[in-house]
Amino acid sequence: MTSMTVEAVRLTKHYGDRSAVEDVSFTASPGEIVGLLGPNGAGKTTTIRLLTTVLSPTSGEFSIAGHPSTASAEIRRCVGVLPESSGYPAHQTGGEYLRFFARLYGLSRGVARTVAAELLAAVGLEDRAESLISSYSRGMRQRLGIARSLVNDPVVVFLDEPTLGLDPAGQAQVLEIIRGIAKNRDATVVLSTHLLPEVEQVCSKVVILNHGRVIVSGSVGEVISTVLIKQSAQLRVPLDLVERARNVLAGFPDLTVDQLMEQPDVLTLAMDRPRAGSGSGSSDLMNAALAAITAAGIPVLRFELEGARLSDAFLKVTSEAVA
Amino acid sequence: MTLQVAPPDVTTPQDEAVVDRQSGWALVAEQETRDLWTSGRGLILLFLFSILLSGVTYLTSTNQALNFLEQRESVNLVLQLAVAVGVLVTLVVSADGISGERERGTLESLLVTPVSRRSIIAGKLIAALTMWFATFGITIPYVWVLARDVGILGQALALGFLVGTLVAIGLGSVGLLISGLCNSNKTSIVASIFLLLILFAPTQLPSGLPQGGFFDVLLRANPVASALAYISSVLVEGQSWTEDLVLLITPLLTAIIAGGALVLAGDRLVKLTPGVNAG
Repeated sequence: MTSMTVEAVRLTKHYGDRSAVEDVSFTASPGEIVGLLGPNGAGKTTTIRLLTTVLSPTSGEFSIAGHPSTASAEIRRCVGVLPESSGYPAHQTGGEYLRFFARLYGLSRGVARTVAAELLAAVGLEDRAESLISSYSRGMRQRLGIARSLVNDPVVVFLDEPTLGLDPAGQAQVLEIIRGIAKNRDATVVLSTHLLPEVEQVCSKVVILNHGRVIVSGSVGEVISTVLIKQSAQLRVPLDLVERARNVLAGFPDLTVDQLMEQPDVLTLAMDRPRAGSGSGSSDLMNAALAAITAAGIPVLRFELEGARLSDAFLKVTSEAVA
Repeated sequence: MTLQVAPPDVTTPQDEAVVDRQSGWALVAEQETRDLWTSGRGLILLFLFSILLSGVTYLTSTNQALNFLEQRESVNLVLQLAVAVGVLVTLVVSADGISGERERGTLESLLVTPVSRRSIIAGKLIAALTMWFATFGITIPYVWVLARDVGILGQALALGFLVGTLVAIGLGSVGLLISGLCNSNKTSIVASIFLLLILFAPTQLPSGLPQGGFFDVLLRANPVASALAYISSVLVEGQSWTEDLVLLITPLLTAIIAGGALVLAGDRLVKLTPGVNAG
């Protein structure tokens, strides 16, 4: 029995001559939040639709919670899905909507009522349970959609752009709910989003797609270090200690140190060449340089790594793929 | 606000105690019917129909008093109107069934539930048929007023119900097929109404026109016209139920063929893109 809840192996979907998804492979475990990233048209939604049996793959295999792709009914029983730009029946109440979906998963009328009430409370909509969905804000609808995706206590939850069109407060609420799903339910969450800073905070694994193919995958740290071999940093120290700092950094031959003309108290640190092995070497070097500065008794007023964010990695891999 | 989403404090769906054995199609039918009637669409259509029916009944009663229209013909006219309007609204509602859900973005949520696509279709067809049943229900008192004195009340109601249901099932299924195939909801509804207008056209031809063999074939090939002709033959011409039964072949075949196509193509019809290509 596999411990993986999602296993996709060379998943491919063609529409005629056009390839929407090509050889997509990745795995996910219980309690893991996997960020499915990529520019528009990268194949994120198609991948989710394949894994939730809404679409049939042209080739490749996958399993969800141990159920092979051929067992679509079993898969649908153990997944929860918030589709991209999901619509809602305006004349139903939030409670009525959740009760209906709970009953579609085989819950009796009474249990469906209990589950709906609990989920509405969990997403902060208990006060609006009997209000028409037409009166809900966009954020409330997204939270209702997430609640709907949980009515069957799913093993894997697929959320396609759950924060689309939400204000920062709404985004934060939704991300908090997503953390809760993975942590408290031990469910796998596959999250498609464009909010890269939030993905860094929430996701334990990232799969970056472009033109239907997986460009890079792994933990956020692995993706950043795999993609960004060269890093740079800005170090700000007191102006009278700049020269001393330069002397300390001279002990790192792989680093080129320059002084900013417009800000003489800021030094730029850049790696001269990639280090052998994994890209994590660049982070190690920067850490060592920073440690040496502080050990020399030089106060660090600011230290900012550049090119170390997921958004940098994302832009780099997607632009390379285009080129 | 810190939101914690813990598993629901109930047993899982696999446990017998909490499992509902109600079929998926019945749940979809129940919800669709509730949506249809609580959203106001159904009630507005029925209200308009009742106004129309009141006007027609009043006029036929007045004509009857003046001996312009025989009472059996009045009953026939009201029943034919009920079948025509009932079938029209059933067709329009079913034509919205799949393409409408696609456009409103609500179809995908339904597709990822364990309910089969055939069950979704069956539920939608049943919900659409409630429009016909409600239309017929409203017609009953009007038929009662007109038919009680000529002793054909039971016959008229049974005939109208059976023939109308047969036509509504057939054209409701056609509406769902059109809805699955069309790439927009507007196209689906317009195509369905256009189809119905074509089917109703022969029933509006002046009775004085020469009616040869070709007209007879056209009549019998048309599920709506032949069904209405059957009602007329029993109610107005006094034929027995079995005498012109051949007129019901086309409505029956329409129901069987369209219903069968829905069953066969259901899995490929209810999907996010129009047509029956593999999803």
